[in-house]
Amino acid sequence: MIAGGLALAPAGAFVLAALALFVIDAFSPGKTSGGVLAGVSAFGAVGALAASGVFLLSGAASGGIELFGGQLVVDGMSLLFTFIFGSVTALVAVASFDYVREMPHRAEYYMLILLAATGMSLMASANSLAVAFVSLELASLPSYALVAYLKGNRGSVEGGLKYFLIGALSSAILVYGISLVYASTGSLLLSDVADAAGEAAATYPGVFGTGVLMIIGGLAFKTASVPFHFWAPDAYEGAPAPVSAFLSSASKAAGFVLAFRILLVGFPIQSVVGAIDWVLVFQILAVLTMTIGNFAAATQERVKRMLAYSSIGHAGYVLIGLAALTGVGGASAGATVLGASMLHLLVYGFMNTGAFLFVALVEHWEIGRTFEDYNGLARQAPLACVAMTVFMFSLAGLPVGGGFVSKYYLFAGAVGAGVWWLALVGAINSALSLYYYSRVVKAMWIEEPIEGRTIAHYPTALYAAVLTAAVVTVFLLPGLVVFDGAAFDAAAALL
Amino acid sequence: MSNPWIAVGALALVGLAIPLSMIAISSLLRPSVPEQGKRAVYESGEVPTGDTRIRFNIQYYMVALLFVVFDVETVLIFPWALIYSDAVAEFGLGPVLGPMLVFLAILVIGLGWAWRTGAVRWVKSERAEIKTQL
Amino acid sequence: MVLETVPVEYYMVLSAAVFCAGLFGVLTRRNALLFLMSVELLLNAANINLVVFAFYWGEITGQVFALFVIAIAAAEVAIGIGIILVLQRNFGDVDVTDATTLRW
Repeated sequence: MIAGGLALAPAGAFVLAALALFVIDAFSPGKTSGGVLAGVSAFGAVGALAASGVFLLSGAASGGIELFGGQLVVDGMSLLFTFIFGSVTALVAVASFDYVREMPHRAEYYMLILLAATGMSLMASANSLAVAFVSLELASLPSYALVAYLKGNRGSVEGGLKYFLIGALSSAILVYGISLVYASTGSLLLSDVADAAGEAAATYPGVFGTGVLMIIGGLAFKTASVPFHFWAPDAYEGAPAPVSAFLSSASKAAGFVLAFRILLVGFPIQSVVGAIDWVLVFQILAVLTMTIGNFAAATQERVKRMLAYSSIGHAGYVLIGLAALTGVGGASAGATVLGASMLHLLVYGFMNTGAFLFVALVEHWEIGRTFEDYNGLARQAPLACVAMTVFMFSLAGLPVGGGFVSKYYLFAGAVGAGVWWLALVGAINSALSLYYYSRVVKAMWIEEPIEGRTIAHYPTALYAAVLTAAVVTVFLLPGLVVFDGAAFDAAAALL
Repeated sequence: MSNPWIAVGALALVGLAIPLSMIAISSLLRPSVPEQGKRAVYESGEVPTGDTRIRFNIQYYMVALLFVVFDVETVLIFPWALIYSDAVAEFGLGPVLGPMLVFLAILVIGLGWAWRTGAVRWVKSERAEIKTQL
Repeated sequence: MVLETVPVEYYMVLSAAVFCAGLFGVLTRRNALLFLMSVELLLNAANINLVVFAFYWGEITGQVFALFVIAIAAAEVAIGIGIILVLQRNFGDVDVTDATTLRW
């Protein structure tokens, strides 16, 4: 066991790094070197990563440590997700060194990333609806500003505006849902809500059911699931590419961890099924999200927008984890499929971040956004293109990276839990996704290079981040077993 | 016990009746003398210039923004202040005062940063510079 | 106390009405500033519920949470106004339907 305060060390690393940046930047505003800023951010993120990794794999918090009267809880799931946030933030911080090198307000950029990461790690630990809302806003508000970071770029501002408009609306819906749940159960603490949920669902099914449905809506926004996915393509395309990487990997994982905790701890399906059958809701959402995301991705002409839609599709795969909790096959089947969702988010954190960082590299070279602009890129930047190929095939689920293992667990788990048709829809969508992912690979390796395109220099930090993500993605193919036990235990502890 | 809504309804009725009757009675009693001077905007004796829809200096925006954020933070201090003495008696000074000091320290770091980066620095326009020199 | 005699359903109807007014504003207004005001209505509808049911259940969690919601609403407005300002600078208007450079 670890002492109470120490359990918050991962979140504390993010906070301290953010506050350190405020102090550092106050000494010579706007003139701090990018290396210092990126270094402090990466240091904080690696600190969070290391602390959560050590706690997770040593089993120090396996029983769950409750803090502040049960408002926060540090357990296997929160540590696993903080590990994801730490790794994504570290990759993005390193990659941003090159990306924002010439831009004004660099310090603010890193501060916002670290503050958003703080919010995400608190979302992973939130054990009451109040903390859930506050930490979700702490993660969202910096994200809006980050998407609109390129103040003079119309796409960036438009993406930020749409993200903000839909985000403000869905957070208002979330908080109204919370108020309805509070009205019918009389508590905001998830364990107390669960105790009162059965009675509330029987006495006030309308109020309680509407509240739960509105909370699910608010969470669907954060995970970019249908029907609150409209912001995602525009925000991801308009945002600076490292920010897209950060949002589509870390922010999505944060939405999911909150959804897992609130639904499984706060609204156990067996006691609320009378008012709202949220497993059914998630079955519908999962199928819609997978299908819409993948079909829309297949029709895109621009690589970044294709990745944005594919990120919606992946949210659909992860939703299977909640949609398969039908009770068929017992608790162990449920734990398998839920743990598989968590593992998929872990792998996704590396492969998707890497893919968006490759797009950042291309944006840095200013060679265009469409598939055609990528033609023959492998002749000029072979190393980066090998990495991108790994990301693409791993995202599609081919056995070159960890994406294969986590998808296999996910679909096998769904079959084990008696929802074979969800696994079937997922497999069909994966096959479709291979089409549009391989378009990128084909453009890079097979098509003839564009005449007259020159690449002046190869940014070291961006390359380092992309290659690290690729190496970890490949390593996770055999290496996912390291996290297997932790994820399945974390899932079993929730059910 | 009588229905409490009767009192609410009576209050609403009286609240409407008083201003309406005042307007009605005064319009019956007062003499009507239309005159141009009565229609003019009164601006502390000054002759009014321009209309009300002017553009405010954009620099007020930063001040307003900082005000909104820091003003609302005080709302989180009120409940703490309300239970402060009882809580100190029960838990001791440290656990009660400490978290609030951390909260305020974070706010001070933010304010200090905003100050240093020039969020509250007032940039004078050239015209204002000339005015002060005269 | 009035609250003991006014049924709690009335307050729920009030908050639902405020919520619907806000939702109507969000869906129909094209001016970004009016959108922000409508979102404030949505949040305050939730606040009504929280405060009323804090009293109903005889505890103060809901009231304290309402204070947090107020604080977050202010932060949200601060960010929103900033984004609307850059919207005005790039598109010359605060009409949210003007920003349409990104499509499908």
